[in-house]
Amino acid sequence: MRTRDSLDRGALVLGVVSIVSAVFVFVHGTFQLVQIGAAGLVVALVLGLLAVVAGWLDERALMLGAGAGFLIAAAVQLVLLAGGRSGFLGGNASTFSLWLGLGVGLVAVGLAAVPEATEESLEATN
Amino acid sequence: MIVLAGTDYVAGTDYATRAVPLLPSRVNRAVIAIVRVGVGLLWLQNAGWKTPPDFGRGDPPDGLYLSTTYAVSHQVFGPYAWLVDRLVLPNFAFFGWMVLLVEASLGAFLLIGLAPRFWAVVGMAQTVVIMLSILNAPHEWYWAYVLMLLAHIALFATAAGRYGGLDGLLRPSWQGSRSRFARLLVRVS
Repeated sequence: MRTRDSLDRGALVLGVVSIVSAVFVFVHGTFQLVQIGAAGLVVALVLGLLAVVAGWLDERALMLGAGAGFLIAAAVQLVLLAGGRSGFLGGNASTFSLWLGLGVGLVAVGLAAVPEATEESLEATN
Repeated sequence: MIVLAGTDYVAGTDYATRAVPLLPSRVNRAVIAIVRVGVGLLWLQNAGWKTPPDFGRGDPPDGLYLSTTYAVSHQVFGPYAWLVDRLVLPNFAFFGWMVLLVEASLGAFLLIGLAPRFWAVVGMAQTVVIMLSILNAPHEWYWAYVLMLLAHIALFATAAGRYGGLDGLLRPSWQGSRSRFARLLVRVS
């Protein structure tokens, strides 16, 4: 048995996390875990959907594309913050953190070799 | 595949010499994943109030700069207060960026479960730094920081990324690789 299915599921989950993060457009105050602006909403939905499709179709190029997209968005957000503003993306350092994680995660999954499944990998995904 | 009945150790086919600990209960694995994601969200959300480029250095001071000044005005440990006063505060832009990048990375990597053993150690170090800065500040509850420390110790002890995290998915390929980086990742995952 191969673990490619697990890796696909990993990409899919990361995409879903991004899509779910869009809810923070409407959440403010104590429970606003991440700041998402209008352009950030587009990033979260489009790249999240791309990751879901990549996981669904086992398309590693799409995973890498979505991951690279998140990393670029994170870098742009950081540059905008360095200028003292949220900028057109409307995020903050939390947004940078989230997109960094999603980007690194998708790139790592997209680049992963496919070994034989071990008990550990199967248990981890159950 | 070798499964040792009655133990919580299993050896995979190609790596039989490296037995890996597995938690027998699905509930326990889920709880560890929840704790990891929760601690990740703690760092992720709190990266948000680190605001470059001045990080709160102004008149009046606020944010990260104000918190850091407590290390001097409400001293916890003399040598650390001296270091903050002489080195950190005069060069605050650099240290502010370091804090932002470290805490944002903690949030990112703990959330996805990639190398959380390494990041748990970083989290412990950062928690100690925070404790040394604000433990004696007004309205602080020191147990909050002790709990933070204990949570990171738990993440380290349980290798939390193996349960519902990317470590669990990627470790088999790292274990099968001969590259130094992959071997390093095996050690920190």
